[in-house]
Amino acid sequence: MTDETIYRHMQDEGVSRRDFLKMCGLVVGAMGMTKMPPLDASGLPASLNKVDKSTLNHVAEAMETKPRIPVIWLEFQDCTGCSEALTRANAPTLSNLVLNTLTIEHHEALSAAAGFQVEEAKQQAMKKYAGQYVLVVEGSIPTGEFAAYCSVGGRSAEEILKEAAAGAAAVIAVGSCASYGGLPAADPNPTQAVGVMDLIKDKPVVNIPGCPAIPEATVGVITHFAIFGTLPELDELHRPKTFYGTTVHDRCLRRPFYEAGKFALSFDDEGAKQGWCLYKLGCKGPTTHNSCATIRWDSGLSFPIQSNHPCLGCSEPNFWDGGGFYQGQSTPLEKPTLGTVGAAGAAGLAIGAGMAAAAKAKKEK
Amino acid sequence: MDWNATLEFARGPFFNFALIFFIAGMLYRIANVVFLGWNKDFAKPRASKGNGVVKSYLRGGLILPFFPREKKAFVNNPITFLAGGLFHLSLFVIIFLGAAHMLAWKSLLGFGWWTLPLPIVDFMAAVGIISMVALIINRFNHPVLKRLSGPAEFVNWLLVFLPMLTGYMMTHHMFFEYKVLFSLHMLSIDVLLIWLPLSRISHFVFYFFSRTIHGVEWGKRGAMP
Repeated sequence: MTDETIYRHMQDEGVSRRDFLKMCGLVVGAMGMTKMPPLDASGLPASLNKVDKSTLNHVAEAMETKPRIPVIWLEFQDCTGCSEALTRANAPTLSNLVLNTLTIEHHEALSAAAGFQVEEAKQQAMKKYAGQYVLVVEGSIPTGEFAAYCSVGGRSAEEILKEAAAGAAAVIAVGSCASYGGLPAADPNPTQAVGVMDLIKDKPVVNIPGCPAIPEATVGVITHFAIFGTLPELDELHRPKTFYGTTVHDRCLRRPFYEAGKFALSFDDEGAKQGWCLYKLGCKGPTTHNSCATIRWDSGLSFPIQSNHPCLGCSEPNFWDGGGFYQGQSTPLEKPTLGTVGAAGAAGLAIGAGMAAAAKAKKEK
Repeated sequence: MDWNATLEFARGPFFNFALIFFIAGMLYRIANVVFLGWNKDFAKPRASKGNGVVKSYLRGGLILPFFPREKKAFVNNPITFLAGGLFHLSLFVIIFLGAAHMLAWKSLLGFGWWTLPLPIVDFMAAVGIISMVALIINRFNHPVLKRLSGPAEFVNWLLVFLPMLTGYMMTHHMFFEYKVLFSLHMLSIDVLLIWLPLSRISHFVFYFFSRTIHGVEWGKRGAMP
């Protein structure tokens, strides 16, 4: 671990005590910490482990005493959209916390160095902080005979990931690609791409799916680990329950219109202008677990449904292959062509008519 | 178990196959009946055939228990009449007037229609499920029905009940992950589609055959009051 605490580092950066406490409040809010996590898990000294403290005090104290957490950020088959989203996070102090305050030891897109120098820096960081760093992965990993489709410095993504994961305290897969394979894994999956949890089985893996992942969720999970030394509570798809506990539909501002049966039927009809529910335009909100509807994007300005576009379900596994974006999820993925129906129907009719004729002939005999 | 793959299979190739089998199977069944032909009836009609058909449908509809002459049938087994009627009504409302199901029809037929608000569809789904439970209990207890029921009747009941149960659980996100319930819902529908032409559930077509033909026959003979 780096020697100085998170708070000490922020003081050096010129952050005032007031701003520091504000940021702690943001962390508490962003992670939805209505109650204190288990005290033992926090790893705080006994003197600080008092039950009567509010979550804000708890976070502030942890930041004052905990050393900074080294983060290694790897990019594979991705578009850097999740990193982009993070640098534009709704709360600037929060993204600052991850990008500046926590030591990001390695991030290809943000790194000033390039080539062998950056590779060497990564190797050094991995050696120095072995068993302590948080590994963040963005993008899917090609496997098998297609492993060479994503290589950095002459080594395949699979090899790089396994090497980095071996020394990591926890692995965080950011975005749908790193979580489930995402777009690169869409049918016919030309590079046999998979998500992190399909390759890394011996380390705790957190998935923060989304295209891109909501930056507050990314920051929330990393901060949670930095502060408490543990990962937040996860669901069966390894997603933090705080951010993925409910569906977009559950918290949607247009939900009352769904209940009332008021739907927009095209993008320019009266219903769309009135802001009615987009379910019939193919909205995947009812099946999509994410917090777009509550946290929203661009400083809480809006999210797709608020901007009159149905949810694509980008944070669900296989969303690219889940049927048309503007077709309801209840629609079949494959349907018989008119020719097939005609041929099968004709066959049915012919056999039926033949059987009937045979029965009739038998009766008349 | 890879539920994503299961869901894709149930919504994709399996559904495709089941639908083709269903269409071919139902056309086979219909042809099998229609091409038997009718015997020529040389008797002079005593009354209107059309009148007979209309009355035949009215008797088969929900007003049946209020006809004095049908009262005995109703009193003998009120559960079959009430729960059976409610079940069919709920089936119609859910399949044709539920937004999700209408979208499925729309993708198959190319046109959509007006749907009911979710709470009403949801209520009807609950009514349908409760009716089905009442009907199966009745089937086990009723002295006559009990003797009339073979394995096929219970398979019919189960294959209709499963889509209703999984669909209801799915809309309420009960117990399992959504995609698990969605997969089970689609799988149960695919199996039901295959089973339909092979079973007496095909009465959804033949009911109209028999009502019309009986109506014509009775009407012609003046046997319809």
